Amino acid sequence: MIVFVSGGARSGKSDVAEQCVKRLSADKPRYYIATASVYDGEMAERVARHQASRGAQWQTLEAPLAIDQAVAQVPDGHGTLLDCLTLWASQVLYASELSEEAGTALLASTLHDARVRGLSLVVVSNDINEDLLPDNAETWRYVAFLQRLHYLLAAEADSVLEVVAGCAIEWKLVKEPQ
Amino acid sequence: MQLFIGGARAGKHDAVAARFPQATWWRLTPGQRLISAADGLVGGTPLVVDGVFDWLAASIDQLQDDDEARRQWQDDLQRLTHAAQTNDAALVIIVNEIGRGIVPMERNERRLRDLNGWFSQDAAAQAEQVWYVRHGLVMALDGQN
Repeated sequence: MIVFVSGGARSGKSDVAEQCVKRLSADKPRYYIATASVYDGEMAERVARHQASRGAQWQTLEAPLAIDQAVAQVPDGHGTLLDCLTLWASQVLYASELSEEAGTALLASTLHDARVRGLSLVVVSNDINEDLLPDNAETWRYVAFLQRLHYLLAAEADSVLEVVAGCAIEWKLVKEPQ
Repeated sequence: MQLFIGGARAGKHDAVAARFPQATWWRLTPGQRLISAADGLVGGTPLVVDGVFDWLAASIDQLQDDDEARRQWQDDLQRLTHAAQTNDAALVIIVNEIGRGIVPMERNERRLRDLNGWFSQDAAAQAEQVWYVRHGLVMALDGQN
């Protein structure tokens, strides 16, 4: 089971995603794959806030880049939260030697591995493409790359949730136009 | 008329192309009125009108009166819809969602955001169906407001 959860800043994405993992993993240990690297006080505060709200039943795996290796460490059939893809995308573009193609392929193989081994994988990301975007090539490269990842996730996921003010809107199960 | 709206790289083009594979695509030309798209109408062939944001952005310095611009495209939307019906052609308009960010510092960027939003509302008001495109997925908006 793969679930894609996204929304705007402070829309309640992480809460919705955590509840989703809890529901899907029952009493089994849950895994939290953190893509954030703690590099300053503000980031430490954000990480602490999220950790405190998650509670102790979560095992944290850090993966600023190697989300495939982190998912490989999760035992078969366990609930896993990957938070968040937006940050991972920026680290692929600006803190790695990976090409955009290689980054996309890495996400695809991670999803495939999760699917094959029966993980309940919930992936969190930010919607940043409904704004008047700055008119520079680098911003557009980032948005295009992130949207490519979102496309892949939305296509692969069993459930796609848009979060608005803590409320989840299901996108994948709705009837498509004829 | 059917309206497709979504953010940057949300998959609007693919969504429309998949549903209207035979369509003629008409990209709006800066300086021309919306009704110019009627030139792209071929009997029985769907017409897709694209490039609204760039069209607005390119003409923003020439636009003196935003309200007058709005009245013009409202009128053109009606005429274009009617022309499509007369030609037995489905009409599709694609617009960008750009209104979910912080208020821009530049006056013209704020105007552009307003114009784009008004255009989307006006097109939606005359649409039989509005589709919201997000990450390659499509949702019908009921528009019952």
